[in-house]
Amino acid sequence: MLRQLRSELYRLVRRWMPWIMLGLIVVIAFVFYFLIWVSVNAQIQAVKSGTIPAPPGGIAPLEQTLRQIAPDRVAQLGVGIVGGLGSVMLIVFAASHVGTEFGWGTFRTLLAHGASRSGFLVSKAVSLVLYAIVFMIVGTIAAIAASYAVSAAAGISVGGSVDLPGVARVAAKTGYTFLPYMALALAIAVWSKSAGAGIASGLVVYFAEGLVAGILVSLNKDYAQIVNWGLSRNASALTRTSGGPATQDPTASTLPDPTQAAIVLAVYCVIFLALAYWRLRTRDVTVGG
Amino acid sequence: MTVQPHEVVLRTTGLVKRFGSITAVDGLDLEVRRGEVVGLLGPNGAGKSTTIGMVLGLITPTAGSAEVLGRDVRVRREDALAGVGAMLEVTAFYPYLSGRDNLAAVAILRGGGALTPVDALLTRLGLAQRGGSKFRTYSLGMRQRLGIASTLLGDPALVILDEPANGLDPAGQREIRELIRELAGENRGVLLASHLLYEVEQVCDRVLVIKKGKLIASGTVAEVTRGGGSFFEIVVGDKRRAAEILRGAGVKEIRETPTGLDVVADPERGADLNRALASAGLYASAIIPRASSLEDVFLELTEPEAPSAPPAS
Repeated sequence: MLRQLRSELYRLVRRWMPWIMLGLIVVIAFVFYFLIWVSVNAQIQAVKSGTIPAPPGGIAPLEQTLRQIAPDRVAQLGVGIVGGLGSVMLIVFAASHVGTEFGWGTFRTLLAHGASRSGFLVSKAVSLVLYAIVFMIVGTIAAIAASYAVSAAAGISVGGSVDLPGVARVAAKTGYTFLPYMALALAIAVWSKSAGAGIASGLVVYFAEGLVAGILVSLNKDYAQIVNWGLSRNASALTRTSGGPATQDPTASTLPDPTQAAIVLAVYCVIFLALAYWRLRTRDVTVGG
Repeated sequence: MTVQPHEVVLRTTGLVKRFGSITAVDGLDLEVRRGEVVGLLGPNGAGKSTTIGMVLGLITPTAGSAEVLGRDVRVRREDALAGVGAMLEVTAFYPYLSGRDNLAAVAILRGGGALTPVDALLTRLGLAQRGGSKFRTYSLGMRQRLGIASTLLGDPALVILDEPANGLDPAGQREIRELIRELAGENRGVLLASHLLYEVEQVCDRVLVIKKGKLIASGTVAEVTRGGGSFFEIVVGDKRRAAEILRGAGVKEIRETPTGLDVVADPERGADLNRALASAGLYASAIIPRASSLEDVFLELTEPEAPSAPPAS
């Protein structure tokens, strides 16, 4: 099984897609910080010059918003940016990482050279987790660098330094919430033998389930007892405790307990991987996979 | 571990595979020994690839077993396949990797590391110049060569080649035939599934002909073609009378041809047939001994059954 993982990693580091995604998250972190500064600063200048009317409370809320780009706020803004876009990118990557093996017919080649089905799944899952860790580390470092660079350019005091342990804790929790979505995309890719189906299913569940859960709880908080067993509410429960974007959620008081949320997400990961394994084990591999 | 010269490296026993109501492989018994090349022949859909799939553990048999070096593939798949190098009919590798990196990835998978002679294999298969090119840029022939190279990683006792000459030019086909014989010379067993009967005739020590998943003929090429029968092409004017005379001389199978008759008989009976015709006053223009080729026998063995007559109303 270790040989399969080594072979998997050998191939992974030679593929363009993971490198492009890492490059993208670095660029995106800088672009977002820059755009926030440019747009908020433009509003402040417009209010000051009287071009637009001052919002309630004057320019203080705008300056407060601008303060979010400071390094001591990376745990909220920076990790939030990386988490928001990273989740989508990692769902796409997870489905592609597995689904292309069937499209290219390489799953069959691997098995013909002695790879086991369980080894295939484990090596895929482990390499995805490793990649998600690297992705979050790179994205978070990029966010920190962007925060320092844009804060300096904006003339915001960078006296308050980054709380590295705090940022690492938030990034770890955020990254953890990606895993069940990645496992779902992997399982669908295995069942359908298609990267496209894995991507579509993963993204639909990611966006639609959260939306539906939010609407239901907004309508009646009793629905929380049901939707709190879904992915999005448990993911929100973890990111809420980490001070991420979910703190703005008006239904936050109905979110599950963070520990329970972490366990529920882990159970989902196990279920999705077990379903994928069951399908791999019982399927005859003819053409492709 | 001591290597026995003629050790059985592959044995299937009563191998059966059913897909729903279709029986793809029906009780197949076969053996491949070290140092021999065994050809697996059959028309499209005969069950060749399904058989190979079961040997490699890609397809689960409905019944029966496949053993590589005495290890049951279903029970000890990884141990069993450690001794097998296999190239499937559709050669698939990672398009974004070079040929060299694809081989290295397989070498790591098989437990080899940096010491695996990937470059030597590329050279052996004539890919040294293009080893660094991406697999997606390879021609069909180059892909086949890379597939064959991958089978040699890990010093396998059994090499399985499914249509290895697909897409190769005549010179490439000859190289592959020579390589197959070399593999047998290195004391490996080779199972070769091919549609190129000439290729099989050239390189195989034994052939197995399957039809609808059943073994219908097996033996050396000579034995199998003998089963198809040697015959004489007799050029003669009065075909009807010649046929009567020859039947009287004990010939059982006679086919009419545009120029005379094809007469199935042992090769040494040529003089007898000539004498029988001449003594009846009928002189053949030519009596030419012919031997059935593997292709003749294959076509005869695997020809579709004639459709049954509709029931009488």
